[in-house]
Amino acid sequence: MERRRYALDELINKRINEVLKGKQDAFEEIVILFQHRLYHVCYRMLNNKQEAEDIAQEAFVRAYINIHTFDQKRKFSTWIFRIATNLCIDRIRKKKPDYHLDAEVPGTEGLTMYSQIAAAGDLPEEQIEKMEAQERIRYEIGRLPDKYRSVIILRYFEELPLQEIGDILELPLGTVKTRVHRGREALRKQMGTM
Amino acid sequence: MNTCPEKIIDYMHAYLDEDIRPEEERELQEHLANCSECKEIMDGLEESISFLKSATQIKAPAGFVDGVIARLPKEKSQVGAQR
Repeated sequence: MERRRYALDELINKRINEVLKGKQDAFEEIVILFQHRLYHVCYRMLNNKQEAEDIAQEAFVRAYINIHTFDQKRKFSTWIFRIATNLCIDRIRKKKPDYHLDAEVPGTEGLTMYSQIAAAGDLPEEQIEKMEAQERIRYEIGRLPDKYRSVIILRYFEELPLQEIGDILELPLGTVKTRVHRGREALRKQMGTM
Repeated sequence: MNTCPEKIIDYMHAYLDEDIRPEEERELQEHLANCSECKEIMDGLEESISFLKSATQIKAPAGFVDGVIARLPKEKSQVGAQR
């Protein structure tokens, strides 16, 4: 795993050097490599597909524009995740504070799933349970206070070590630990009341 | 209100972060074996985590990469062309 990661970092640095020489195609390869992870984090942060796509794309654009500032001794994933989470946090701050408790926005996953269930009628129970679980995850994550949500997403969806989460969010390790603890505590309490 | 020592809760989180010393873990396990209230908290934390881990990986939509490329500034490629 470590070895693979190392090889990946080398490949990325190679591509970055090509981008620095003006080859835009090399950047496309970087986007292909990271698109799903970046989109997923943005989606979990924002709980909205359109916004996640917009913000994740914007993160790549900013990375491209600022690629000369990236220190190749560091991990590219940390750098691009930092750009993306900062953009997500800005976006969340611009919203109404009660946004996450709001009902589904038309066209998003939740509504589609419910309408699918209604239309299909007699789906196997385990399938319905699975769908509900995914919807429930969205809901529970959305209910978390912002500062816990970001650490919990990086910890449990991206499965990143605490130190790396600190590097991404530019927080000291102690603060990351505290937020992960409180985030878990908040989740436990949320889930216990349902 | 839980009247158990606060450090037990800290140990639970340290355990979940795999950041616990063996003697602390022993103390935690002993406590959990004897305290149903704390055991319930620990179970709740572990359930929340496994619940999160059951989330499906969501992929970027089709056309995502092309969308990024379309949004890139044009100037950069001109710099390349000047080489």
